[in-house]
Amino acid sequence: MKIGVFVCHCGSNIAGTVDTAKVAEAARQMPEVAFATDTMYACSEPGQAGVVQAVKEHGLDGVVVASCTPRMHELTFRRTLERAGLNRYMFEMANIREHVSWIGKDMQANTRKATDLVGIAVEKLRRDKPLTAKKFDICKRVMVIGGGVAGIQAALDMAEGGLEVVLVERSATIGGKMAKLDKTFPTVDCSSCILGPKMVDVSQHPNITLYAYSEVESVSGFVGNFDVKVRRKARYVNWEACTGCGLCMEKCPSKKAKDDFNEQIGTTTAINIPSPQAIPKKAKIDPEFCRQFTKGKCGVCAKICPSGAIEYDQQDEVVGEKVGAIIAATGFDLFDYTRYGEYGGGRYPDVITSIQYERMLSASGPTGGHIKRPSDSKEPKSIVFVQCVGSRDKSIGRPYCSGFCCMYTAKQAILTKDHIPDSQSYVFYMDIRAPGKNYDEFTRRGMEEYGTQYIRGRVSMIYPQGDKYIVRGADTLLGTQVEVEADLVVLAVGAESSKGSPELAEKLRISYDAYGFFMESHPKLKPVETNTAGVYLAGSCQGPKDIPSSVGQGSAAAAKVLSLFSRSQLESDPQVSMVDIKRCIGCGKCIATCPFGAIEAIDFRGQPKAQVIETVCQGCGICTATCPQGAIQLQHFTDNQILAEVNALCQQALEVNFE
Amino acid sequence: MSVIDELKSAIKAKLSELDLVIGWGPGFDPLHATPLFMRCEKDVDKLLWGPLNVHNPATYLPGLKGKKVGVVVKGCDSRSVIELLQEKLVKREELVIFGAPCAGVIDMGKVRRALGDLDKVNAVSIEGDNVVVTAGGKQHTLPLAEVAADKCGRCRYHNALISDVFVGEHLPPSVEQDDYADVEAFESQSLEERNAYWKREMQRCIRCYACRNACPLCVCRDHCIAQSRDPHWIGQGDNVGDKWMFQMIHAQHLAGRCTECGECQRACPVGIPLLALKRKLNKEIKELFDYEAGVDPNACPPLQSFKVEEEHINERGW
Amino acid sequence: MPASAGSELRIVGFLCNWCSYGGADTAGVGRFTQPTDLRIIRVPCSGRIDPLFVVKALMGGADGVLVSGCHPRDCHYSQGNFYARRRLEVLKRFLPTLGIDPKRFEYTWVSASEGQRWQSVVTKFTEQIHALGPAPNQCRSAQAPQEAERSAG
Repeated sequence: MKIGVFVCHCGSNIAGTVDTAKVAEAARQMPEVAFATDTMYACSEPGQAGVVQAVKEHGLDGVVVASCTPRMHELTFRRTLERAGLNRYMFEMANIREHVSWIGKDMQANTRKATDLVGIAVEKLRRDKPLTAKKFDICKRVMVIGGGVAGIQAALDMAEGGLEVVLVERSATIGGKMAKLDKTFPTVDCSSCILGPKMVDVSQHPNITLYAYSEVESVSGFVGNFDVKVRRKARYVNWEACTGCGLCMEKCPSKKAKDDFNEQIGTTTAINIPSPQAIPKKAKIDPEFCRQFTKGKCGVCAKICPSGAIEYDQQDEVVGEKVGAIIAATGFDLFDYTRYGEYGGGRYPDVITSIQYERMLSASGPTGGHIKRPSDSKEPKSIVFVQCVGSRDKSIGRPYCSGFCCMYTAKQAILTKDHIPDSQSYVFYMDIRAPGKNYDEFTRRGMEEYGTQYIRGRVSMIYPQGDKYIVRGADTLLGTQVEVEADLVVLAVGAESSKGSPELAEKLRISYDAYGFFMESHPKLKPVETNTAGVYLAGSCQGPKDIPSSVGQGSAAAAKVLSLFSRSQLESDPQVSMVDIKRCIGCGKCIATCPFGAIEAIDFRGQPKAQVIETVCQGCGICTATCPQGAIQLQHFTDNQILAEVNALCQQALEVNFE
Repeated sequence: MSVIDELKSAIKAKLSELDLVIGWGPGFDPLHATPLFMRCEKDVDKLLWGPLNVHNPATYLPGLKGKKVGVVVKGCDSRSVIELLQEKLVKREELVIFGAPCAGVIDMGKVRRALGDLDKVNAVSIEGDNVVVTAGGKQHTLPLAEVAADKCGRCRYHNALISDVFVGEHLPPSVEQDDYADVEAFESQSLEERNAYWKREMQRCIRCYACRNACPLCVCRDHCIAQSRDPHWIGQGDNVGDKWMFQMIHAQHLAGRCTECGECQRACPVGIPLLALKRKLNKEIKELFDYEAGVDPNACPPLQSFKVEEEHINERGW
Repeated sequence: MPASAGSELRIVGFLCNWCSYGGADTAGVGRFTQPTDLRIIRVPCSGRIDPLFVVKALMGGADGVLVSGCHPRDCHYSQGNFYARRRLEVLKRFLPTLGIDPKRFEYTWVSASEGQRWQSVVTKFTEQIHALGPAPNQCRSAQAPQEAERSAG
C-alpha cells in the first residue's frame, strides 16, 4: 500500500499547540507511508486540491488526514478521495484538534499524542478495504399508521405530492381525539368544522387507501421495501354495500351498547356508526351487545338494511401491503384517572374526565350540547376543574407535563360560561403552562373576561355532600386550605402513550421511552425521524402535543418521505456486517442479539448459516462482538482493524505482514 | 437389577431407532474408562457406569447434528446437554438422553498422588464408597470422597437434569449452595501474587488445545479464532502473552455458558487449573444476573440478553 | 511508534461514535483542558466492543483502558450499550483474578452534549491510573525476543 498523510494546521487551531511538521516527519517513518506533509487548511479548496494532487502524483491508494473530528469532515474528505479516483473508504482521520490541540497547551505532549493518533489511523488504514454502496429499488408507496389529525395531515400532504398512501386506523372512524372535541383553543374554532373537510378529503382522495377498524399485524423488510400485514377486524357489515344511511341504528333493539366515541357518556346501539361525521360513514356491529350474537336470534338490521350489507358470519381478514416508508402517528390515550382514589373518579358519577366533558359540550354529542350532570341530568352551576391528573406526578410514574391540559381547561371554563351564564368555574392548578401563540392571552381572558377562578394548589380529596361534592385542596398562594362546593368536577386527565405502543414500536423496530412514547432520532435536529431508516413519527405518539404541533409534524414527516422518494433508488451504507460463510457454524447468536432483525438464518448446502440483509443492517457491530468465531465482521470496523489500532497503541509485537 | 443393567436394557430397547449411543467403555487399563460409541447390542455390553466415567459425552453432540443420537449422562454432563439445547447447537428431537445418579468421578491426579506410580494397574473395583485399586501387586482402598474431582464435592446436580430414561435412585445434592470458597481463597492473595501465579501457569501451556477440544461448549472447533489470521487475535508464538490471551478468549467465550464440567482442566496435559478462571466468571455472573448455565433449556445466556434496568450493575457509580 | 516519553502513561479509550466521541469533541470545542495520556479508538457502538479488546490492550501493555458509550436508553442502535454494560461489567469483575487491578479498567456513559462530564471522566480516570502507576508488564517473557523489538514506526 502507498499511504499519504496530511497533517492540518487548521490555522493556529492545531499548529498553535501541535508541531505539525514534526508529526508529518514521524508519519514518514510509519509502515507503508509513501507521502506525508503538513497543510494549512486540509478541508479548504486548495487543501483538498493538494490531497488530490498528491494521490495522483505519488500513486497513493490510501489517505490519512490528521485534522478535526471525523464527525465534522469525514464526509468532506471521502468525497475528496472519490474525486482523486480512490475508494472513499480508503480513508482514515486522526482527530488532533478536538482531542488534542484544543484540550491542552503542552506542545511536546500534544505532538506525541498527535503522532500516536496518526499512527493508529495508519495501522487501521493498512487493513481497510474498498467498500461500495449498493443501490436498491424502492416502492414509492407509504403507510400511515393512525388516522388522527397528524396522520391525516401527513397522508394528505403525501397524496398531494403524488404518492400512494395507505392509511390504517384502529377505530371505526378517522379523526382521532380531535374529532371528539367541541372547540379548539385558543381560537375557539369548532373542531369538526376544521377537521371535517380534511377527513372528507382523505376519503375522497384517489391516492389514499383507507383501512379503518384495522391494525398493523406485522412489519418485515426495510426502507424502500416494507411488507406490512394489516388485520381488518370483522365489522359484520359489508362496507362495500353499506351507504351509512343509519336505518339499522333506528331499528336496532339493543340500545345499551358501549359508546366509545362519546367516552361512555351515553350509550349507543349494537349496530352503530360512531358519529354523524364519521369517515368512513359505515355501520359496524358490536358482537358483545348484538342479540344475534348473544342470543342467537334477532336479525332486525339484516331485514331492514336496504342494501343487504349485514354479514353476521364476517371474519377478520389480513391484507398485505408493500410500502417504502411508514409514518407512525398513533397518538395518545388518557391516563386512567381512577388510580387517584382521593378524587373519587369512577365512583362518583359527577366526577368526569375532560374528554367526557368535551363530548357534553359538543352539539353532536349525547347530550346535544347541553351540560348535564350524569347523576341527575341537572344543569351544574358550580364546576371545578382539577389539573394535572396523571401529569407531573412522580408518585404514579408520570413525571412529565402533558402540555395541553392547561389550555383545554381554560377553553372548557370559557365554554362553560357561554353555555351556562350564571355558572362559576374553579380551576385547581400547579402552574399554568401556556407557551403557544396567543395561548397565554387566552388563559388571561378566561380569568379576566369569564371570571374563571384559578386556585394554585393540589386537590387532596373530593367527597359527596348531599347532591353536591366538596373539593378540598390547598391554596398555596394564600397558604390556606380551601373547600369548594361543586355540582360537577372535571378532571384534566393527562396524556399517556396510546395502548399497544410498545408492541407497535417493536414491530416497527423503533425505540420507545419508559412511558411508551416513540423515540425520535434526535430530540432537536431529527424530531420526526427514527433510528430505523424509512420509519417516521408524527404527532403525540412521540410525546404529548397540541393540534398545531401535530399538524406541523404530520407535514414534516410527509416532507421527509417525499424527499426520500425523490430518488429512484436508495444507497445502502456499505459499513455493514458480513458473514464469512466458511467460519459460520449457524449457532444464531448474532441473529438473537441483532436489534434490527437484519440477520437471517439460511440453509447453505444443508447447514444453517447466518446471512446479513445489507439494507436492514445499521452497522452497530453487536453481532461481531457476539460471534465467538469471528465469522460475522462489521466492515470498516473489523476485529483486525480494531486490533491493529490496539496493537499500535500497546506496542505489542505487531503482526508480520506476509502480503 | 443394578443401575448398569437397567441402563443397558434401556439402551438396547432404544438402539433400533438410534444411529449410535455414546457412553463409556473400558480403556487401556482398568483405571481409565474411555468414551464408547454403541451401535449394536455387543457394544452396549461393554458399557461402564461409575466413578471412572470422567469424560463428558456431550462434547461429541454438536458434531453429530443430523443423526439420531443416544447419550448416557451424569448430572454434570446433562447440564452441558441443556446448554447445547438452549443455544440450539443440538436438536432435542435428535437426542435420546439416558440418565443415572452419579456419586462422583475420580480425579486421576489425586489417585496418582495417593498411589504414586500408576504404570501398571491390575484391577479396579468400586466397593461401597471406596475405590479399590490393585497396582504393582498392592491393593489400595481409596475413599471416593478423597479422590473424587473437586467439582463432585460441590455438586448439586448428581442426577441428570434432563433425560428420557432415568434409572436408579435420585441422589441428594452434596451441598445446598456453591459458595465459591476456592475463588475467594485464591483472591485473598495480593494482585501481584495472582498475576505471578497465572504467568507461571500460562508459561507451562504447550498450546495443544486439549482444553478447547474437550470443552462441550467450544463449538467453533476448526474455526477457533486462536488459530486464524482473519480475525487475527493472537500470534502463533510460544510466548506467555499469546498463551494467556488464548485462555482469556476461551474463558470469555464461556462466560455465562460454562457449566463447570471441568473437562478443560481434566484434559490439560500439564495440569493448568483452567476451571478456576471459569468459576470466577460464573461466580460473578451468579451475583450479577442470578443465573446459572445449563439448568433451564429455555433460558437465554445472560451475555446475549439484557435488562433495561439492571438490578446489580451500578455503572454510574464510577 | 515512539513510546510515550516523560511521565505519561498508556491509556486506551474505546468510544462510541454517536455519544461519547461526540462528547469528547464537545469537550474540545469548549476547550476543556484534559490530561494528554488518553488515546481514543472510535467504534460505532459500545456494543461493538468485544471485552477481549480490553483484555488485549491490558495484556499488551496498556496502563489503563476506558470505555465510554451512550447513556442507557439513548443508544443510537437502541440496544448496544445494554449488551455492552453486561459484558463489560462481567469483565471488570473478572480482572482481579488475573492479578490485574480492576481500577485499570472503567466503563461509563457520556452523551454527545456532555463535554464537561467528559473532561471530568478523563481527568478522574487519568489520575486513577497515575495513582496505580505503570502496569506490571503482563506478557514479557524471557524467550520472546520479538517482543522487545518493536516494529518500525
